[in-house]
Amino acid sequence: MLTDPLIDRLTSELKPVRRRTAWSDALALVVLCAVEFGLFLLMGMMRFDMPMAMHLPSFWWKLGSLGLIGLVSGTVAILSLDPVRSPRRGLRWIAALIAVCLASGWLLDASRDGFLTLISRLDWVDGLQCLFEMVILSVPAVIGLGLLMRRGAPTDRAGTALAAGLTAAAWGAFVFVFACPFDDPLYVAVWYSLGCSAVTLFARFTLPRLTRW
Amino acid sequence: MRSVVVALQPRRYSAPMQRLSARDSSADDRAWDAMMAAAQGGDAPSYHRLLSEVTAWLRRYYARRLPSAMIDDAIQDTLIAVHEKRHTYDPTRPFGAWLAAIARYKWIDALRSLNMKPTEPLDDDIPVPDHEEAITSARSIERLLATLKPVQSQVIRLVKLQGFSIEEASKATGQSAPLVKVNIHRGLKRLTSLLRSEPDAD
Repeated sequence: MLTDPLIDRLTSELKPVRRRTAWSDALALVVLCAVEFGLFLLMGMMRFDMPMAMHLPSFWWKLGSLGLIGLVSGTVAILSLDPVRSPRRGLRWIAALIAVCLASGWLLDASRDGFLTLISRLDWVDGLQCLFEMVILSVPAVIGLGLLMRRGAPTDRAGTALAAGLTAAAWGAFVFVFACPFDDPLYVAVWYSLGCSAVTLFARFTLPRLTRW
Repeated sequence: MRSVVVALQPRRYSAPMQRLSARDSSADDRAWDAMMAAAQGGDAPSYHRLLSEVTAWLRRYYARRLPSAMIDDAIQDTLIAVHEKRHTYDPTRPFGAWLAAIARYKWIDALRSLNMKPTEPLDDDIPVPDHEEAITSARSIERLLATLKPVQSQVIRLVKLQGFSIEEASKATGQSAPLVKVNIHRGLKRLTSLLRSEPDAD
């Protein structure tokens, strides 16, 4: 049998292993995110008008939406690192959640001053800078989730990478909320969506190649 | 609240495990669970026995899904994957489901590699030791090819199964050589996506 020498070799290389659990992966990710958030605050990057912003519904909308998307995506990504679990159903829930978040943002926005000033409200120069900073803040989470993917055994690498990308993107945007002085729902919906999409697409097409097993 | 948490959990690949359980007794399943748990702790004799038993199961699994020339490679790839990812096995859950998920992943990988490997004409005098496996594989392949467009299934049959070159297939079908390549590529891609969408294609 061709496989006999291989079985002998694998047996001779056997060493005790520390079992991977979803909780240990989640803990590692939470620690990484906490360190990033701590550094972010220590570097004085939080917006100066935070007490005022906390009275705005749109501030809580973007913070709550991104936190919820990050939490759900992270759960789906980590659970799908187990070979017997597929991320597909979780991804459908995330898509529905994003749609609900955007719709609720639209409802907040509809109470404002009509659609005539849409273009000026987008504020391209600041928007591009926001997008760039959001992407930078997502980098630690992308790397962390990529390492967890390499250690885990995702059998649907594309789906897991998509969930990981969404997690990292939502986390980056969540942290950025504390620095971003713009609370206009339209601005948030457009620029935050673009930033999150960039990170998600990058993860979707890069992580499956780096985590092949 | 509990139903929401359950809904968010990714779907399990349960079908292969159900078939696995139907074929093997639950005592055997539990023995595999125990052997793998012991292997995670470094128990080499248990691990050796487990891999030997798993190899027999994998041979049956791939015999119904892959051409016979690819079976050994697929088994070896799966054994290496089992070895490298053994820390991801949770001893509180059945080993069979975990193994079946990895075997299915490696099976899809093997099908993808069909798309990338160059095809060479085969010698007519190759001995075929086991006709049953070949017939089962051929029936599965025919069933899958029937789901494709005729122009795609025709060139896949000629080039990938019968070993004709692109030029020969082009002459036989009247399609241009680039079109033959495109149809093979699209056909194999569609087959892969069909297989991925099925929980377990027997």
